[in-house]
Amino acid sequence: MSKRIQNNNKFFAVAVAGLLSLTSCATTETKGIDPYEDMNRSVFEFNAGLDEYLGEPISSTYDEYTPELIQTGIGNFFDNLKDINVALNNILQAKYQKGGEDTGRFLINSTLGIGGLFDFATGFGLKKHQEDFAQTLAVWGVPQGAYLVLPVLGPMTSRGVPGVVFDTAFNPATYVGVPIRAIELLNLRANAAGQLKLLDEAALDSYIFTREAFLQSRKHLINDGNVELEEDLDLDLDIDSILFEDELNN
Amino acid sequence: MFKMKNFYLYINFLIGLLVFFPVHAQQQTFTAKQVVEIFQNELIAVMQQGQNLGFKGRYNRLEIAINQSHDLNKIARTVIGREWLNLSVAQQQQLSSVFSRLSIAAYAHNFKEFSGESFTFDSEEEGLRGGVVIHSYLHIPQDKAVKFDYMLKKKSDHWQIINIAANGVSDLALKRAEYTSILKRAGFDVLIKKITEKINQYAQ
Repeated sequence: MSKRIQNNNKFFAVAVAGLLSLTSCATTETKGIDPYEDMNRSVFEFNAGLDEYLGEPISSTYDEYTPELIQTGIGNFFDNLKDINVALNNILQAKYQKGGEDTGRFLINSTLGIGGLFDFATGFGLKKHQEDFAQTLAVWGVPQGAYLVLPVLGPMTSRGVPGVVFDTAFNPATYVGVPIRAIELLNLRANAAGQLKLLDEAALDSYIFTREAFLQSRKHLINDGNVELEEDLDLDLDIDSILFEDELNN
Repeated sequence: MFKMKNFYLYINFLIGLLVFFPVHAQQQTFTAKQVVEIFQNELIAVMQQGQNLGFKGRYNRLEIAINQSHDLNKIARTVIGREWLNLSVAQQQQLSSVFSRLSIAAYAHNFKEFSGESFTFDSEEEGLRGGVVIHSYLHIPQDKAVKFDYMLKKKSDHWQIINIAANGVSDLALKRAEYTSILKRAGFDVLIKKITEKINQYAQ
């Protein structure tokens, strides 16, 4: 990364961090990662109701009447458009090789894959990456900020808010009209059915389960899959060693 | 009569060997990687026979495998941290018991059928304080592989799993957040009630 880009990135990171601090940092110190839990829970309930009465019935119907091949094609089409954003964010994070691979993916799938309907690039060894601007901000050193649950959009952090604005602006699907975006959302909801079922089955407290799973999986993406297990393990063992020192000596 | 007594002793010795030795020998000699692989192999075997075994059959098979490979007591008290000390001995035992049943029931419910899944070992990493992390993948046909990271700790010379992370999401951290929140908001009895309800749901 050139010095100029580094300086620009640092400046931007400091500016975003400053903005976030106005909204969250003052409270996160005293109330942890979720200073707005009561409000977040209310929005979480609203979103769950919205999904139960609107999202789930529509996506179930869509899932029932749309052949899997078409669903895959629709998913591929929108994923291909997102690859532009993925490439851009990889470059902003100085991961130039991955950025090149993403660009290759977009070119191959847009041409051979007929506008992105088919994913030939994966077959050519160009794996799909998951990058977005919130991850880029994290790599630049912008603090996570508070956990938020936004109406319709769902779980997020303060750092994710400018991330969503950037990602939306750089996604061509944003500019093709509401009906096309609606199809994208519908397809996403249909594909997430399995995860939502798992959440429903496994969670004792759906809100906490969603929050923790979201924050951990975001951290996993930021670290490119290199899990910082030691941090967790160490924390757990610290607690355990305080409580059960005798057993650790075994 | 003397010979008969010797015969009974001999039979008892044999039974003792059959019942005690395999488990004891396994725990004595297996490395952290082997503990994980033996557990994963049993999980795949149970999935392959999942439909025939039914929930109860899968539960019984996995109960043995999980108790041999996991330190469920340690996991149970770690998920509620310092709150453990505020519980009575009876409450601690109750929590350990329902937590064990929940862990086994969750496996028996979620790993019930086989469609070509397999585990592969990726790497082993030394952790702090003598812990070990085994990185592996669960391959699912027509789907993305899921990264499974097992954290193990030695207890009396036996490696035991104390946490599992799937695609970076730690089961221990997830449960700790949930359980401590419920304890704080609603109390011990509600926590036990919710866990018991979950076990019953899994069994259906």
